[in-house]
Amino acid sequence: MLYRETGDFKSSYAADQQTFPIRSERYLFWGAMVIAFLVVPFFINDYWEKSVLVPLLVWSMAALGLNILTGYCGQVSLGTGGFMAVGAYACYKLMTAFPDLNIFIVVILSGGVTAFVGMLFGLPSLRIKGFYLAVATLAAQFFLVWLFNKVPWFYNYSASGQITAPERTIFGIAVTGASAPPWATYLFCLTLVFLFAWIARNLTRGTLGRSWMAIRDMDIAAEIIGVQPLKAKISAFAVSSFYIGVAGALYFSVWLGAVEPTEAFGINVSFLVLFMVIIGGLGSILGSFLGAAFLTLMPVLLKNVMVGGLGWPTDLAAHFEIMLVGGLIVFFLIVEPHGLAQLWRLAKEKLRLWPFPY
Amino acid sequence: MNQHIDPGSLRADDGIEKGGMLLHVDNISLSFGGVKAISDVSFDIKKGEIRAIIGPNGAGKTSMLNVINGFYHPQEGTITFRGEKRRRMKPHAAASQGIARTFQNIALFKGMTTLDNIMTGRMTLMHGNLLTQALWVGPAQREELAHRETVEKIIDFLEIEHIRKTPVGRLPYGLQKRVELGRALAADPALLLLDEPMAGMNLEEKEDMSRFVLDVNQQFGTTVALIEHDMGVVMDLSDRVVVLDYGRKIGDGTPDEVRNNQNVIDAYLGVSHD
Repeated sequence: MLYRETGDFKSSYAADQQTFPIRSERYLFWGAMVIAFLVVPFFINDYWEKSVLVPLLVWSMAALGLNILTGYCGQVSLGTGGFMAVGAYACYKLMTAFPDLNIFIVVILSGGVTAFVGMLFGLPSLRIKGFYLAVATLAAQFFLVWLFNKVPWFYNYSASGQITAPERTIFGIAVTGASAPPWATYLFCLTLVFLFAWIARNLTRGTLGRSWMAIRDMDIAAEIIGVQPLKAKISAFAVSSFYIGVAGALYFSVWLGAVEPTEAFGINVSFLVLFMVIIGGLGSILGSFLGAAFLTLMPVLLKNVMVGGLGWPTDLAAHFEIMLVGGLIVFFLIVEPHGLAQLWRLAKEKLRLWPFPY
Repeated sequence: MNQHIDPGSLRADDGIEKGGMLLHVDNISLSFGGVKAISDVSFDIKKGEIRAIIGPNGAGKTSMLNVINGFYHPQEGTITFRGEKRRRMKPHAAASQGIARTFQNIALFKGMTTLDNIMTGRMTLMHGNLLTQALWVGPAQREELAHRETVEKIIDFLEIEHIRKTPVGRLPYGLQKRVELGRALAADPALLLLDEPMAGMNLEEKEDMSRFVLDVNQQFGTTVALIEHDMGVVMDLSDRVVVLDYGRKIGDGTPDEVRNNQNVIDAYLGVSHD
């Protein structure tokens, strides 16, 4: 079996607070990382890159960001699409204004710009909560997309109103633009997601994460025991928007290459990421990945089965796929309202006691 | 037992002698629109004592605690805490000055574990910034481990080791009350405000809780102000009692004095109007 430890034998607090306290799980995780970093790049092709792996990584990044805000700090946001647009346009402006700037730095700076914008739109959260805050962030969504459509400066006065990512390289290898090899774009995204998932884990297990969760669970009590609501909420908006901004920058520059704001960053994007977070598990890093995986891989899988396996016409399969994914969402939410991450946790609790559940 | 927490770690070292004045409430009046919750109440809390605030329902006891820790702002009157006079302040500022409290209706963070709840109580004592927190390795981890050490002592003290990693939402009522006391203790408070710590408990749980309150008071020298309806508990635990009724102070003194005060007897037993 996967779990063979017979009890809790931690003898130091440091050992007790590890990310993967169970040894077999730790090996499993690092094994998966070794495969992801060292094996997959040799086998990846264009299809896997553009339809499976890079989308998975980009959406994971966005889901991580929204999970910090909604799952950890309890502030509902429907502005994810708008904030991704900020990341994408910041990335575009930086790429074109400073052609020599390394793309890695450009992406991080785009996150920084989005963090600032997110903080501004997070200010209403100090006065309003719940559904009302969701509506306020909805305003951010529509305003930002409108802004990027209306102000030509953002798309450098191009005739089509689109933005197109020029080629940028790291160590002489292109990671953006049409000629970028699949393995390079994949590794670039994977490195960023790995790095920021680790940071998200660190932020959520320390003082800052506890202040977020305290605000989420009982904001008045949190204030009385010494959490500053202003600091906690605005920092959650900033960190969350940073992640979403980085996701938006990758979405535009690495994955799609060219975007048009209404199409790429509409309200449906906000909902998609929110669904990922809810299905994956609010307040869980693992949940962000599971949710993103569920909503990006499931459609691809269903399409392959129905069109490739059963030979159905593409349009029928497309409609059927929407129905099936919708049904699966409802099914998983009924089985476990706390998301896939909770499902995994419960399964693990059972497995650790198996076969002697007492 | 219970010699776990090092009293030296308490930040109560403010030059006030035991028995000296820790908190002074002067002529506090508080109203919500036309409703007067507290009118012209004054009393004091001496360092190291257990001070009970009692009174019938709606007497303004909880409002008084809310005034003391900055959650309500009184229209009139001042509060002097450790020699510092104030009228308005934010709750987190009161928290960082060393006022901690528990709530009448448990206000724990239900999605977090016992350990995380108590760690959150140390919020005002931890100073990690975004950068060190993001990196974790180094200062943030060192700070976390140092505070974990103290928190574990509190967990030992309250005898809740077995529920360390349980989300508090799943715990029974009595244990939740105990975790809440732990969260307040984690702040190393100079003044601990307990709002009905024994409400809804059975006899055994009440005895446990009374023991914890006495231990906190005697071993760490923490000053305690508590609201409680169980007169037996109040008379046994407290050094001095202040009695409120309809927002006014009607009695103040040792348990014996209060017990024999005619106003107090009238308030509790009612007066005949013939």
